Amino acid sequence: MEKSKGFIIVASKKRNFYVYAINLAESLRDYYEPEEECKICLVTEEQFLDDRGRDVADDIIFCDDHYRAKLYGMAKSPYDITMYIDADMECEHEDIIKVWDEMKDHDVVFSALTDDRDYIYAERDFSTPEGMAKFTLCGGVCLYDMSKPIVREFMDDWWDLTYRQMNDTWWPEGYIDSLKSWDQFSLWWLTEKEPKYKDLKVGIFDDDLRWNYYNALNWAITKPENGPVILRHFSAGLNKDTPIV
Amino acid sequence: MSRKQWMENAFWETEAKKEVNCILELEDDVGRITRQQMFLQRINKDGSENELFNEVIDALGEDAIDAETVDRVTRKSAEVEEEKMREDEHQKARKLEKLFNYKMEAFEVEEIKNSKNRKLKAKLRRAKSKIEVDMYSIMILQDQLEAAADGKE
Repeated sequence: MEKSKGFIIVASKKRNFYVYAINLAESLRDYYEPEEECKICLVTEEQFLDDRGRDVADDIIFCDDHYRAKLYGMAKSPYDITMYIDADMECEHEDIIKVWDEMKDHDVVFSALTDDRDYIYAERDFSTPEGMAKFTLCGGVCLYDMSKPIVREFMDDWWDLTYRQMNDTWWPEGYIDSLKSWDQFSLWWLTEKEPKYKDLKVGIFDDDLRWNYYNALNWAITKPENGPVILRHFSAGLNKDTPIV
Repeated sequence: MSRKQWMENAFWETEAKKEVNCILELEDDVGRITRQQMFLQRINKDGSENELFNEVIDALGEDAIDAETVDRVTRKSAEVEEEKMREDEHQKARKLEKLFNYKMEAFEVEEIKNSKNRKLKAKLRRAKSKIEVDMYSIMILQDQLEAAADGKE
């Protein structure tokens, strides 16, 4: 049986994220051909949901107002091959349909945090008891195969570990506290330190800037190599705390 | 052991080659290195030849200074161009963010929020300027009014 495919978008904590999420979902439908095959799961708080969400989403899952509810949502995806996209992104190219080809033989696929893009990262290098380390995976987009038990377990663990690091019930010795708010840390821990996931096949999108182009990047310095941007990330330029209207 | 060396990146300040801009590197007896940027005139104020100037010319050669001057002009011009491109792209990105925020405001207008006209909403999303956002916003409002008048909604 063919694996199901769909997008997952999470909007929690602030209503602005819900507005961004609706825009992202509609933009996916604008560009995905045939549109009826574009399956979208919206994970949001019940208080935010309105007709726009009901109209644009095929599946709706309610979450609470946790700062990193995205990981809860990712672990609950109803689709086998799932493409998670941060709510504050927008689709702007019809190549979005090619996203499923990026799965290849990987288990999970991310965009990369690289040295040449370092100028926009808030916190990337950190010290560990074994020496300096740096985050290399960006969780802004994530393609993963939920039909594989190891991936389902990984997603559950990523959410669980992030939840625990943020409520101070788990934290390894020798790591600076400022890393606690980053789900990149729990991701780094699971992929680098957790023996259970040593064989997890983690991939990077081909020409990954097409799949997660941070608008804070400077186009004169950093741009995709083989085509236009497919998913643009507006993260830095948005005032997420002030209500849009 | 002390050492004195004129660095190879000396260049002419003017086309007449009457002034040279150069760096003198000095190393003292304990190996400490200092660099001193110098601006040397070919002729002193009293009309005599500037010995330091001549020393630089003897050490580096006029041809090498000519070549470095041309390279420097090209390099500086490329740097200015590069900086301008970066600044332009920075401004474009900020403009895009503002436009995105503006579109999000438009999508929160009650009539646009409730509109089921996917085509017009897609056009609003793809708008390249505020005036285009305004234009499609008005078209969506008109569409809503017409739909209401036709009793569709």
